[in-house]
Amino acid sequence: MFEDLKPKKINLTEWSHQFRKISDQIIKKYKYYGNQDWGIYLSPPATFMVYGARQLKRLKFDNSFAALRLWGFVFNESERLFRAKQVGKKVIATMGDLGTIPVIVMSFPDCIPFYPECIWWTPFFNESFILLDMATKLGAPEPACFSRAALAAFYKKAYFPKPDLMFASTGASCDDYSCIMQLIEGLGYNPIWIEIPFRRKSRSYFVADDYEHTKWGIDYPKRFETYLMSEYEKVWQNMVEFTDINNRNYLAKSIKNANRLRKLVENIKKLSYEAELAPFPGLELMVIEFGNLYGYADFDEWTDIIEMVYATISERVQKGEGVLNPDALPIAWVTPSPDPYLLNLVEDLGCRIVATEYVINQALVEIEEDIEPFQALARSFLNASLIGSTEQRVRRIIEGVEHGRISGVLITNMLGCSHCAMETRLIQQMLSKVPVLSIDVPAPFGITEQLKSRIAAFVETIRCARR
Amino acid sequence: MRETLTPRERFGLLVIDEKPDRCNIIPLVTSHAAEIARMKLKKYYTNGEAMARAQIAAIEEYGHDAISIFSEVGIIAEAMGSDFDYPDDDLPVIKRPALTKKNIEDIKIPVPKRDKRLPVYLEAIGYAYQSLGDKVPILAYVPAPFTTGMMLSDPKTFLIQTIRDPDHIKKIMEKSLQAAIEFCYDIIDAGALPIIVDPLASSSVVSPKAYKNFALPYERALIDFLHRYDLDIILHICGNTEPILDLLLETGADLVSLDQVDLSLAIEKLSKRMRIIGNFDTSKIAFSSPEEIMEEVKNMVKRGIKSKKGYIASTGCEVPIKTPPENVRTFINAAKEVGWYWE
Ligand code: SF4
Repeated sequence: MFEDLKPKKINLTEWSHQFRKISDQIIKKYKYYGNQDWGIYLSPPATFMVYGARQLKRLKFDNSFAALRLWGFVFNESERLFRAKQVGKKVIATMGDLGTIPVIVMSFPDCIPFYPECIWWTPFFNESFILLDMATKLGAPEPACFSRAALAAFYKKAYFPKPDLMFASTGASCDDYSCIMQLIEGLGYNPIWIEIPFRRKSRSYFVADDYEHTKWGIDYPKRFETYLMSEYEKVWQNMVEFTDINNRNYLAKSIKNANRLRKLVENIKKLSYEAELAPFPGLELMVIEFGNLYGYADFDEWTDIIEMVYATISERVQKGEGVLNPDALPIAWVTPSPDPYLLNLVEDLGCRIVATEYVINQALVEIEEDIEPFQALARSFLNASLIGSTEQRVRRIIEGVEHGRISGVLITNMLGCSHCAMETRLIQQMLSKVPVLSIDVPAPFGITEQLKSRIAAFVETIRCARR
Repeated sequence: MRETLTPRERFGLLVIDEKPDRCNIIPLVTSHAAEIARMKLKKYYTNGEAMARAQIAAIEEYGHDAISIFSEVGIIAEAMGSDFDYPDDDLPVIKRPALTKKNIEDIKIPVPKRDKRLPVYLEAIGYAYQSLGDKVPILAYVPAPFTTGMMLSDPKTFLIQTIRDPDHIKKIMEKSLQAAIEFCYDIIDAGALPIIVDPLASSSVVSPKAYKNFALPYERALIDFLHRYDLDIILHICGNTEPILDLLLETGADLVSLDQVDLSLAIEKLSKRMRIIGNFDTSKIAFSSPEEIMEEVKNMVKRGIKSKKGYIASTGCEVPIKTPPENVRTFINAAKEVGWYWE
């Protein structure tokens, strides 16, 4: 086995150097879909750089074996989806709902859900305008957010295979992305539309509604739960028709699997955020959170990787080891950054991420296992940050601030994201107790010295405030 | 037909067994690029930035699907101690092989970032990658151990020793293999895909038996090393390879670039496991008329795209330096006309 060295963030060349010590036997041990020919994914970042992921040249990565596995697996996703089809698996696009419909899809044997919109990271990892320029040509220019890269990817057919079935969530999920999906439909794809209700907060104007609350204390009108259940029934029926399989026991098992991963990730976050020293870098932790959505197209293998990550983090915490300076300033990160380099940069400038609001809460909470499965899925989805008020979104962060764990809040707005534009000011108002910095994540190559200075000044402000 | 993909996307699909919009078109535009950039050859092979600029100029001129970082096959042997002359208007010429001055035990494994012209390649890769790496694959040609071994010795003595003193040859091979591995290691880190070239192992130069005993095991060892990185490896052997076609399968290469071979025979024997690259006659690209090139390339590509695991339209060897650009353009246009997979 490969012995982990003292925890550290290392660059691509250092990873290549470490990689030489890994035996062929270990490289062959880890494979997706159990395939020995093409399923091997344990490669150093340099491999993916050779195939065009140019940003890897300047990113830093955790130096653990678990992190190597994690990155190799994540970067292999595009190939994995094509391979899935080649061996007869069904590839199902589940767009817009971020975390719940995949649990249904995974109840059907050999059906692989994935999120085409997650390709918004590709222009940044590749440092390339290819997808964004193509999206512009296809009718989704800059006023739409980076998820418009998905439109170009559907057109190019080179980033994922043609989905066998597509579910597209619209309504309260995201209006911009609904527009993107309409354009995708215009390319000749046939999404099955799923409507997502808006989880309003105020009871007083809607007196006729019965209200419930989720296990996590989020209020919602009861009929929305019933409505969502009927939408999930629609997903189920489409899957039954497509696969000719109808076994609800599989759904219960799929929920169990999802929960296994969700619990692991919750423990990882708790351990990482509460430890005296940061045991794992923020970039890897973001990738881990997003893995909850669909396990990067091989849920079982991903869960196995996350177990290894958990073991690594536990060991580091036990030994009192960390990857950042002991005096790193604890901050919360609001909305995910499509540019991974920003997470590196903020840590390099002296911060440590100890809380996140990446707008995927619905994929982080456990799904209840003691109630009817569709009801459980609906109730877990109703925790979604994206379908409710901003106030609810920020509440958790405020709690963190009040407990004195968070010294500053960084909001990364997405260029073109209508939600961000509306929410940022509100968040800033609500978080008056600590310094808040809101930055617009620019297009690839857009991180200028000016932006770096703004972040450095923010860090300095936090440092002064703490003094 | 409209091109949908960039060369990078096209190559990416090929190596995962998917059919791209059309076949990749990668004539081996190496030192010929200097001609396109109106650059002295000596500048091309001694200055990394110049090599990259010439390659980028060629891509802009022809619109083919990969950048080729290459000048000649002596590059590792030179870094191991063989002496070369650098004529202004020609490629380096071997002056004195290392093993005529030293014993194999005294030859050191080169440091690619430091020794002789290996840094020229690395610099060229870095520059090309920075400029076009998101759109175009960068291929860096690495001489295989057998070819390097022969450039370390006097070729005649080398060939005699394969019979009289095979153990000595194996020592040379081991060292050349180590040197190639170190070079590949830095090539990958700079952002290029190593392509293994073994022209001196072709049946035009050595017997199939010598190939099997002395070239193949080291090609395979180098390819095995590169497979640790999960890279898709091209093996290029120019000249006649028909007598060793079956042996090529044992190298483990993912793509094989062929020269003087019947393309249909190569497809029949290799295409279940390997993607085929080739194999337009380089004398024809240099000397035939555009009309003849157009017709013959079309015939070749029509056969090539039937290859099961995929096909790259290419020349059998390097495009000769003085080839009229019109001929290269014709090659590419012909392949673009008939090489479509998508409707
Ligand atoms: S970034 Fe904003 S606009 Fe884009 S998909 Fe997400 S919520 Fe919608």
